[in-house]
Amino acid sequence: MHNKASLGLALAIAALSGWAIFSALEWPWKAKLFPMVIGIPLLCLALAEVLWVVFGSSAGAKAADFKLTQDQPPEVVRRRTLVATAWIGGFFVAIMLLGFPIAVPLLVVAYLRFEGKESWLLSGAFALMVWGAFYGLFERLLHLPFPPGWLLEWLGLA
Amino acid sequence: MKRRQLLVAAIGLAAAPLAMAQSFSGKTVTIIVGYKPGGGYDATARLLARHLTKHLPGNPTVIVQNMPGANSVIAANHVYNVAKPDGLTIGTFNRNLPIAQLTGVSGVKYDITKFAWIGSAANESTILAIRTDLPYKNFEELRKAKEPVVIGSTGPGANTHDFPLLLKDLVGLNFKIVSGYSSSADIMLAVERKEVDGRAGSFTSLLPFIERGLVRPIVRARTSEPGIEKLPVDESFAPNPRAKAIMALRSAPEQVARPYVMPPKTPADIVKVMREAFAKTIDDPELVAEGKKTKMDLEFTPGDQAQKILVEVMHQPKDIVQEFAKYIKFGE
Amino acid sequence: MLEASWEGLLLVLQWKPFAFMLVGIVVGFWVGLLPGIGGATTLALMLPFIYTMQPVEAFAFLLGMHSVVATTGDITSILFGVPGEATTAAIILDGHAMAKRGEAGRALGAALTASLIGALIGAAALALAIPVVRPLVLTFGSPELFMLAIVGLAFIASLSAQGARGMLRGFLAGGLGMMLAMVGQDPQAGVGRFTLDTLYLWQGLDLVPVLVGLFAIPEIIDLAVRGTSIAGDAPVGRISHGALQGMKDVFRHISLTIRCALIGTFVGITPGLGGAVAQWMAYGHATQSARNPEERKGFGAGDVRGVIGPGAACNSKEGGALIPTIAFGVPGSTSMAILLGGFFLLGLVPGPDMLTKHLSLTYSLVWTIVLANIIAVAVCVLLLNRLAGLTSVPGHRLIPVILVLVFIGSFTSNSHYADILVTLLFGAVGYFMVTAGWPRAPLVLGLVLGKIAENYLYISVARYEAAWLSRPVVMVLLAIAVSVVCYPVYQAWRARRRGTRA
Repeated sequence: MHNKASLGLALAIAALSGWAIFSALEWPWKAKLFPMVIGIPLLCLALAEVLWVVFGSSAGAKAADFKLTQDQPPEVVRRRTLVATAWIGGFFVAIMLLGFPIAVPLLVVAYLRFEGKESWLLSGAFALMVWGAFYGLFERLLHLPFPPGWLLEWLGLA
Repeated sequence: MKRRQLLVAAIGLAAAPLAMAQSFSGKTVTIIVGYKPGGGYDATARLLARHLTKHLPGNPTVIVQNMPGANSVIAANHVYNVAKPDGLTIGTFNRNLPIAQLTGVSGVKYDITKFAWIGSAANESTILAIRTDLPYKNFEELRKAKEPVVIGSTGPGANTHDFPLLLKDLVGLNFKIVSGYSSSADIMLAVERKEVDGRAGSFTSLLPFIERGLVRPIVRARTSEPGIEKLPVDESFAPNPRAKAIMALRSAPEQVARPYVMPPKTPADIVKVMREAFAKTIDDPELVAEGKKTKMDLEFTPGDQAQKILVEVMHQPKDIVQEFAKYIKFGE
Repeated sequence: MLEASWEGLLLVLQWKPFAFMLVGIVVGFWVGLLPGIGGATTLALMLPFIYTMQPVEAFAFLLGMHSVVATTGDITSILFGVPGEATTAAIILDGHAMAKRGEAGRALGAALTASLIGALIGAAALALAIPVVRPLVLTFGSPELFMLAIVGLAFIASLSAQGARGMLRGFLAGGLGMMLAMVGQDPQAGVGRFTLDTLYLWQGLDLVPVLVGLFAIPEIIDLAVRGTSIAGDAPVGRISHGALQGMKDVFRHISLTIRCALIGTFVGITPGLGGAVAQWMAYGHATQSARNPEERKGFGAGDVRGVIGPGAACNSKEGGALIPTIAFGVPGSTSMAILLGGFFLLGLVPGPDMLTKHLSLTYSLVWTIVLANIIAVAVCVLLLNRLAGLTSVPGHRLIPVILVLVFIGSFTSNSHYADILVTLLFGAVGYFMVTAGWPRAPLVLGLVLGKIAENYLYISVARYEAAWLSRPVVMVLLAIAVSVVCYPVYQAWRARRRGTRA
């Protein structure tokens, strides 16, 4: 997993720097100097990493940052990761379609109820608290704009 | 017959202010600023917002929202295409947006002349100032300079860059323009360090440094302000009419320095009310006093005038625009 | 000078400015804690409220608010792994790791104490530097700033894992960061680079959505996977009792604390480097204090030094940033830019006057920073148990709240949905980097310093042609940069030698 991720990242960076160098070619020299100076070595480094992963021993990598937890068996990890990603993506979609003011309490209720297996009462109360804090602080006090959400606009409810 | 018509007309006239007076009460007027909080456009908008309420019929709440991005093109697009023309949304953005439209910047989804123009809340004048310890005291001496005079700028599109660029390329002044500074304040620091010899910029922003004796103003753009009336105008040194037209085109937006617009197709009576409210607000003694503290000098140019200036900008002949685009890019 | 200093203290201790400072502290407390309300934005929003106040009161309020933001931002970073502020992201690496081990109390104690010491050192620097400020700032021209950016970038080497492979990946991440920094309109030719023909990318990638995505999202996923509270299975009692130990840690590593505080002050003083750099340089420096590869690996897993370094640097930076702001009117960071607005609002023109005519006012600023930090830290310490206790709340109750904060945080910087997309995208990137064992810190460094390096290089070359390379400060900085890069290599070599000898 470790190595596959490394390979994927390196390939992505190689592709990205390749594209960057290619786009930079037609710019005036002042605009393209740095992208070239950084991009070309970056491409080489990325290819080096690709080769290292493919041909090198798998003992290569030590985590520099934080390690993802190893406590759970891999299928559990995979399933939970996918579920978490789905929730995050779903929240984003909800925000786009329904707007922040609706998506926020919706997420809280839904997550607590379905993932957390909490009671409707607790989920609802929590959602209300969060929504209240959100509304009070961001909308009333700071007047930050939160657009109403595409679905509402299509339905003419905005 | 005539009497009844007169009566109807009289009732209509009497009812109209009532209709207008009710149009804002209990509502919230939003001024959308195309920049993050803290900048000049934002400060002006917030100053206006604080005092606009009392001059609008119905005394609505006036709030400011920031919609930064793409040098305020995003805000302009939003006000033009998305905001509703009900008088509750006002937009203020980069004065150089006409240039963006003129030079065909991709992503521009507005027509600057079709906004419902409230007006401009200030004029701006660009001047070029150089360090006082340099031997050039006026434009003629600067012109004869043997050594290149280093001018710092932030980047293409800003008046720090464009103004000296035209002086260099069209009038032939011996400038070396060094760009990339992150803000005009950084350039001033570089001036103190003798890394650069001067900068161009708005008179208001350079004034503290002029008063301190760090820099001396040499030449100005077309718009005048008290204090710099005697400075020579850059256009007067243009070697040919085309160069003059290009310089004039660059400085045209400065007469509409703080543009305030409403979405196109906003009803004319609402625009009229808004224009009057703005005019009164800008003359409001409290606002003037507050503005003095922050060195913001507001001056109202009504929307029809602003629109006229911009229509003229947009109708420049193609060859001038093409020549213009070679020098000036849209940026800040 | 002493007289002005005393006057300045008396100015702050009058009841009105003091009261305003307290209000500012309360506001700043929440601003720092909640991602999405940046210190800079809030300062700007608060500006209109101060125009009726006297200068001393207004500054007590603004600075009181501002000084506290970095401290409470650390809290969110440690407890939840979400950067409370753009400037407190580095502390997530070790701080949150400690929280996950049940050592939240210790991490908080260390962070708070380090922040306080950092702030005091920053304030002291400000006070002492006042006489020499102008020549000091004036020696740093564009060539020097370019070299400083290079020194900052050199820390990529320290922030990478050890060994050639680690360095390779570190520089890959750093290089990626630098390429990302180039998105946007370039200031030389006005070309829109890598903008994918969108308006959104016209001004480049905004730091906050990237940071929030890169660091917070992998943590959230990890929390969901673990299925427990943040502190995991650590016994509840232990969590908050570490605070005292954390404080002791700071004093145990006092020279590191002081050094990182000095780094922060220095970065703050040099206008143009931006606020986000200090914490990463301090973190890089802290990792250099690991005595052997084993210890080095401990960074990122919860070494308290990784908390102390950034904690101290963040707060000291603010004191340093005040220096160019007051003396020159050139803001040392974005929040300072807004503070400048406050100056103008109150009719004060930053410049030599602030150091002569208004000297006592300037000193009152110094004292405000000192007092505000002391009060803030004291309050946080009182709340420490409660705060640390949040790490034993079941994860699934926290996740929706954290997610909401993350999304709001990334949205409100520009009111753009695209920012949330960026957060999600970098969330994925961060997740894969963590899976692959790549360090994320170099990416941030590259992103933050890339554009600065490019701009100052161009300015230096345009202005001085090749002569700038031989300026004394430039050469000193180059030497520092080289040593920063070589140090981890040297450390590895020395460890290997010790290993073979043993």
